[in-house]
Amino acid sequence: MDESSLPWIILLAPLVSVAVIVFLTQGSRTISAGVSILAVLVSFVASCLVFHAPDPAGVNQITWLDFPALHVPIGVTIDQLSKTMLIVVTGIGALIHIYSAGYMKGDDGESRYFAGLSLFMFSMLGIVLANNFVMMFIFWELVGVSSYVLIGHWFFRDAPPAAANKAFITNRIGDFGFMLGILMLWLATKSVVFTEIEKSLGVSKFENLNLTAATLLIFCGTIGKSAQFPLHVWLPDAMEGPTPVSALIHAATMVAAGVYMLARVFFLVQASPDAQWVIAFIGTITSLMAASMAIQQNDIKRILAYSTLSQLGYMVMAIGMLSKEAAMFHLFTHAFFKALLFLGAGAVIYGMHHEQDIWKMGGLGKKMPLTCATFAVGTLALIGCPGFSGHFSKEMILAAALSGSKWTFAAALATAFLTSFYMVRLFVVVFLGEPKTDAAKHGHDAPPVMALPLVILAIPSFLAGYGFFISHFVPLHGTEAPGFVSLFAFLAFASGAVMAVLLYRGKKEDPIHIGLLANKYYFDEIYAALIRWTQELLARQCGRFDRWVLDGLVRLLSGGTYAAGFALRSFQVGNLQAYAFLFGAGIVAFLWYVVSK
Amino acid sequence: MNLNDYLAVSGLLFAIGFAGVMLRRNIIIIFMCLELMLNAANLSLVAFSRFHVSAAGLPDYNGQMLVFFIITVAAAEVAVGLAVIVSLYRARRTTHVEDITSMKF
Amino acid sequence: MMPAIYLEAIVLTLGVLLVLMEAFSNSEEKTPVAWLGIVGLTFVFILTFFTANDLSASPYSAFYHADFRAIFFKRFALLTTIVVLVLSIEYRGVVQKYVFGSRPQAGLGEFYALPVFTCAGLMWMASAVDFIMIFVSLELVTISFYILVAYMRRNAGSLEAGVKYLILSALSTGFFVYGITWIYGVTGQTSLEKIGAILLGLKVSHGPLLFGFMLVLTGLGFKIACAPFQIWVPDVYQGAPTPVTAFLSVGSKAAGFIVLMRVAEVFLPVPWINHKAVTILVALAALSLLYGNLAAMPQHNLKRLMAYSSIAHAGYILIAVACIGSRYANIAVSFYLAGYLLMTLLTFLVMAAVANQAGGDDIVHFNGLGKRSPYLAFAMLAAMASLAGIPLTVGFFGKFLIFYVAYEKGQFLLMGIGVLTVAAGFYYYFKVVRAMYWKEPADDTPVRTSPLTGATIAALAFCIFFLGVYPAPVIRALEGPPSDNPRLLAR
Repeated sequence: MDESSLPWIILLAPLVSVAVIVFLTQGSRTISAGVSILAVLVSFVASCLVFHAPDPAGVNQITWLDFPALHVPIGVTIDQLSKTMLIVVTGIGALIHIYSAGYMKGDDGESRYFAGLSLFMFSMLGIVLANNFVMMFIFWELVGVSSYVLIGHWFFRDAPPAAANKAFITNRIGDFGFMLGILMLWLATKSVVFTEIEKSLGVSKFENLNLTAATLLIFCGTIGKSAQFPLHVWLPDAMEGPTPVSALIHAATMVAAGVYMLARVFFLVQASPDAQWVIAFIGTITSLMAASMAIQQNDIKRILAYSTLSQLGYMVMAIGMLSKEAAMFHLFTHAFFKALLFLGAGAVIYGMHHEQDIWKMGGLGKKMPLTCATFAVGTLALIGCPGFSGHFSKEMILAAALSGSKWTFAAALATAFLTSFYMVRLFVVVFLGEPKTDAAKHGHDAPPVMALPLVILAIPSFLAGYGFFISHFVPLHGTEAPGFVSLFAFLAFASGAVMAVLLYRGKKEDPIHIGLLANKYYFDEIYAALIRWTQELLARQCGRFDRWVLDGLVRLLSGGTYAAGFALRSFQVGNLQAYAFLFGAGIVAFLWYVVSK
Repeated sequence: MNLNDYLAVSGLLFAIGFAGVMLRRNIIIIFMCLELMLNAANLSLVAFSRFHVSAAGLPDYNGQMLVFFIITVAAAEVAVGLAVIVSLYRARRTTHVEDITSMKF
Repeated sequence: MMPAIYLEAIVLTLGVLLVLMEAFSNSEEKTPVAWLGIVGLTFVFILTFFTANDLSASPYSAFYHADFRAIFFKRFALLTTIVVLVLSIEYRGVVQKYVFGSRPQAGLGEFYALPVFTCAGLMWMASAVDFIMIFVSLELVTISFYILVAYMRRNAGSLEAGVKYLILSALSTGFFVYGITWIYGVTGQTSLEKIGAILLGLKVSHGPLLFGFMLVLTGLGFKIACAPFQIWVPDVYQGAPTPVTAFLSVGSKAAGFIVLMRVAEVFLPVPWINHKAVTILVALAALSLLYGNLAAMPQHNLKRLMAYSSIAHAGYILIAVACIGSRYANIAVSFYLAGYLLMTLLTFLVMAAVANQAGGDDIVHFNGLGKRSPYLAFAMLAAMASLAGIPLTVGFFGKFLIFYVAYEKGQFLLMGIGVLTVAAGFYYYFKVVRAMYWKEPADDTPVRTSPLTGATIAALAFCIFFLGVYPAPVIRALEGPPSDNPRLLAR
C-alpha cells in the first residue's frame, strides 16, 4: 500500500461503515456504534499519516467523466489546508462518535443515528478532499442530506422534522447559487478542477465571464452552508437534533465547510475586489447581529448556536479582508472549543434529564465539577481570555478587521464584547448560584464515555493558539497584530465579562428584556410574512395554473392516451390482424415518405 | 423474360401473402400466407442472382445461398409454428384469430 | 488467445449437452440442468476475456467480426442468459403447473436448455457483418423464442402470446428478408462492408435501394420494439413466462440494436440516404418515446407496464442511433443497453419472487413490500429509480450520454421530447415505489427467495449503484482501441 491510497482510505472508511450498518448490523445497536467509531478512527489514523507525510507531488485522481467539453475527475487535494481540515474533522469527529455512544445509549434509532453520522463523515471528508467543483458540489449536497437525516433524528416529535426541512430548504437556496456559479466558471474556463481554473484565471482575462458575479454566486453556497445573513435562520432551529450532532455538524465542521470552500477557491476572492467587499460586509453583519441575539436567549443550545453564527461571521469577514490565515486559524481553534462547549451543554442536558432552559438550572458547578471545569475552559477560549486559544485567533481576526476600515473594526470589537457578555451570562446562570429547580438539585456528571471527550477537547481548546501548536496546522507568516488591538480585545473581553457577572449573579430570572433581540429581530416572522406575501401569492397563481392549465394538459394527455387506446381497440375485429394491419400501415407510411421527393 | 417480369411476379406474391395475413381468419392459413411472403423473397433472390452474371458467365451464387438458408429456416419455423398452433387448438378448440383476444390494452 | 468463434461453438455444445442430460438422466429433478447451464455460461463469460479480438484474415472474416463491440455484446448476451436461467429456477413452479407430464418436472429441462441456444444466436448476431449471417442468427433467436413464449402449453395467455409473437415476428421476418433481397438485387452483395463501398460510389438517389433499406429497418424495428412496430410488445410480454419476458426485453432488444447499428453505420454515411434515414429514425424515436411513456401511465399490471417501458427505452436508445456519426453515439447505445440490462433483469427477478408468493404481478401485489421484505423492496427501488433515470444510478448516466450525443448533433427536438417523457416516466415508475412504501400490505409474511436469487438481486443492485457513481470502466471498455474499428477510423 503506498501513500497515494491513504486519502482514499480516509474517504471510504466511513462509507463502508454506512453500508455495513445499513445492510448488516441494523438490528444490533452496540455493534453499529462500534462499526461507526472504528471507521472514524481508521480515518483519523490515516489522516495523521497523511499529515506527517510530505505533500504529494503528482495529481492523485481517477477519471470519472471524460467528454470533449466536460472532464470531471474524482481526485483528492492534499495540501496544508486540507491536511489541517482532515485532522480537525476526523479528530473531533472521533471524539464525538465516542461521546455519542454514551449520549445515545438506549435510543431506538441508535443504528440509524450512527449510519447518519458515518454518512456525514464520508460527505464532509469528500468536501475536504475534493479537487474539483463537481465533486465538491456532490458532497456538499450529501452533507446536506446527512444533516437533514440527523436533525430529524427524532422524527416522531413535532419540531425536529420541521427544523430538518427548514435547514434543507434554506441550504438549497444557497446551493442553487453555488451551482450557477460553478456553471459560469465551467462555461468560461471549460474546466471544473480548482488548479486548472486557477491557472486559466492567471493566464487570460475572460471577456465573457463576470468574475465578481461568479464569485458571489459561489459565495451563496457559503451563505447557505455557513448560515450567514440572510440565510442564517436554519442554524438555531437545527439545534433540535441530538446534541452531539449539533457539536459536530452545526458547530465544528459542516458549517465551517463554507469557510473552507472559500479558502479553497481563495484565488477567486483575490481576483474580484467587489466580491471581497460583499463577503466582508455579510460576515460583519452576521457576527454582530448573531452576537446581539445571543444575549437574550434562554435555551442553552440556542445561545451556543447564535455564538456559532457570530464566530462564522468572523471567519467569513476575515476571508473578505483577504486574511485567509486568520479565518483558518479561527476555524481551527473554534472547532475545538465550540465542540467542547456543545458537548458540555450536552452533558448538562443529559444530567438535567433533557432540560435546556438555563433559568431552570443553576448551581450545577458543585453537582457536575468536571463538566463545569471543561465548560469553563471552553468559555474562556471562546471569549478570548488571554492565554487561551481563542484569544490568539480572535486577535488575528480583529487585526484583519482593522485592515478594512474603522467601522468593521468597531463592529468586530462590539461582537467580542457581546460574546464575552453572553457567554459569562450563560456560565453564571447555569453553573453558579443556587439550584433553581429540583432537577438542578439532583444533577450529576456524565458517565466516563462522555466525560473523556470533554477532557480531551479541553486540551486543544487551551493550547491550540500557541505558536508551537498552531504552526503545524496554519502557516501564519509572522503576522503580528498591533499592540493596541490586543489592548482593545482585552478591554472588550474584560468589560463584557465583568458586566455579565455583575448583572446576573444570584438572579432568579433575566433582569433585562429586549424584545427585539429575544425575538431574533423577528427574522422568522419577517420571512414567514415574506413567504406568505410573495410565495403564497405565487403559489396561488401556480395553483391556478396547475388547476386550469397543467391539469387540463395532463387530462388531455391521459385522455389522449385512452382515446388512442379506444381508436386501436376499434381495429381489433381480430386482434392479431389489427396488429398486422398497423404494422403494414407503418411500413407504408415510411415507404411513402421515402419514395416521395 | 427479363428481370422485371420475375420481380413483378415476386411482388405480387408478396402482396398476396400480406393481404392474406391481414384478411384471412384462420391462423393456419395466415401462417401459410407468411410462408408465401418468404417464397416471394426467394423468387426475387434467384432472379437477381441469375441476372447478376459475372465475367465468367456464371450467376452470382451469394443470392442462391441465401435462398437455401431461407428455405431451411422457413422449414424450422413451420415446424415450431404448427406445433404452437396445434397446442392452441388443443387448449382453446379454435384456430380463429377473433377468439384469441383475451389480452388487450 | 483463442478465436472468438469458439465461444459460440462452446455455447452450442453446452446447449446440446443440456438437452442430452435432460433426456438421459434418470433423475426427476431438473434443476441441475439449469445449474449446469449457469456454470457453463459463466465459464464462457470468463473465456471472453481471453479471446483474440483481431480482424486479421480468419476464414470467416467475411461473415463474422470479433471487434471489441461484438465481444461486449457477447458478454452482454451471456450475462443476460445467466440471469434468465436464475430467473427460470425461481419461476419453475409456475411453468410446472402449466406443463404437466408423466412426472412432476417433465418438460422443465428444455425450458432451461433453450435459452442457451438463444444465447448462441444472440452472440452470433453480435458478430454478424453479412446479411446471410444476420438472417440466420436472427432466426435462430426468433425460433427459439417462439417455443419459449408459448412454453406453458396449458396456459391460454402464454399460448395466445406465442401465436401473436409467431405471426407478427414471421411477418417482420418476411419484410426483413424482402428488404435484403432488394439490397442484394441492387448491389449484388450481401456483405455489409462491400455494400458500404458500393453505396459510397452511388451519387444519386436510388429508389429500390431505399426501399430495401426501409424494409430492413422495419424488421429490426420489430426486434427492438420501437413504435410503430411495437404493437406486439404489451400482449406478448404479459402472456409469456416471466423469464422469457425478461429475455425478450433485454436479449432480443440488444441484439436488434447491435445489428441496427452495424447496418446504419453502413447506410447513414451516404448523403442521399442520410437525410431520409435520419428523419425516419427521429420519427421512430419520437413515436416510441411518446407511445411508450404515455401508454404506460394508466397500466396496473407490472409486466405490461414493463412492456411499455421497454418501448420507451427503445425510444431513448434510438435517439443515439439517429445521431450516428457522433463520436459517442456507439458508446451511448451500448452503455444504455448495459444499464437497461441491469435494471430490467433486476425488476423481473424481484417481480418473479413477489409473484411466486402473492400469486400475481399487478402493482397491487407489491403493496407494503417495504415492510414485508425491505431488501427486495430496496432492490426494486433501485431498479425503478434507475429506470426513471435518477442521479447516482446507472440509468441516469445512460440518459445523460444519450442527451449529450443528441446535444452534440443538434437534435433538440428529440432532446425536448426525451426530457418531457422522462418526467412522465417518473410518474409510473413511482407508482410501484408508492405501492411498496406507502400502502399497507395484504399480508405480512416476508417474501422468500432462494440464496441464488438473493445473491443475483444483490449483485445487480450493486452494479446499478456502482456504475451510477463510477461509469468510467464500462465507458472505457466501450471506447476500445481505435484500431479495432477500421470503419470508424475511415470516416
